Amino acid sequence: MDVNDKTLQAIASALKFREMRQEIISSNIANAETPGYKAKRLGFEEALARALDVDGELSMNISDKNHHNVGGGGFNNLQPEVYDDPNGIINESGNTVNREDEMAKMAENKIMYDALVGLMNKKLGLQKYIISSER
Amino acid sequence: MDLLTSMKISSSGLAANRKRIEAISSNIANAQTTRTAEGGPYRRKEAIFGSEPARDSFADILEGEIDAKAQTVHVTEVVSSNEPPILKYDPNHPDANKEGYVAMPNINVMKEMADMISAQRAYEANITAINTSKSMALKALEIGR
Repeated sequence: MDVNDKTLQAIASALKFREMRQEIISSNIANAETPGYKAKRLGFEEALARALDVDGELSMNISDKNHHNVGGGGFNNLQPEVYDDPNGIINESGNTVNREDEMAKMAENKIMYDALVGLMNKKLGLQKYIISSER
Repeated sequence: MDLLTSMKISSSGLAANRKRIEAISSNIANAQTTRTAEGGPYRRKEAIFGSEPARDSFADILEGEIDAKAQTVHVTEVVSSNEPPILKYDPNHPDANKEGYVAMPNINVMKEMADMISAQRAYEANITAINTSKSMALKALEIGR
């Protein structure tokens, strides 16, 4: 068993992205009344799914040594994307932040973050158990 | 890019809204002021918000695109309104003009109160964001326990 397996890497990446999302949401809340500010979103789920590639359908096969690895590369070159929220409603000062929306997203993000920490502890606990069961 | 930056962003939101509340308090307190240092009646003040990238050092911005996208908020300037004063008929007032009218500040106290509540809500939203970032950071310390 690989100590630093796919699960741990995926959890670690997801934790990092949730922290980034928290930063983006904080920025939206702080700028809720800044004229011209556009609400921002951070998308990482798709990139993470591609890196995880559970069903093997998202990556291209490398069957020849001349093939390039496109879109693969595992967890090391994961790039989340930050974009302006296309669903935002522009108010009179050109701002698209909906504060209620941001608070709900922040609450969701926190719950998912806590769940990820729990998952990581479970996984580490499992490994600890395996290591100590030899004795 | 970390939770401490999130807290920095939210605290910039707190500071900006505090300044906004200062301007509103000043407006309410001076709703009847007819003499000011610049001369004439008090003029309504308004705090103007502007955003700035959360990371300021060059190396930090080079680090990644996202870093430059999270924005802090600052009061860029406090502007005095150019709305004309309200003329009130009060011939006995020492500041009355020849026709007996006094120039009073153009301040609607109801509007200021509504603005103040809005600023208070914004302040509270930023407090909630700080608390969430804080509890996430504390939760991360539980990894491996």
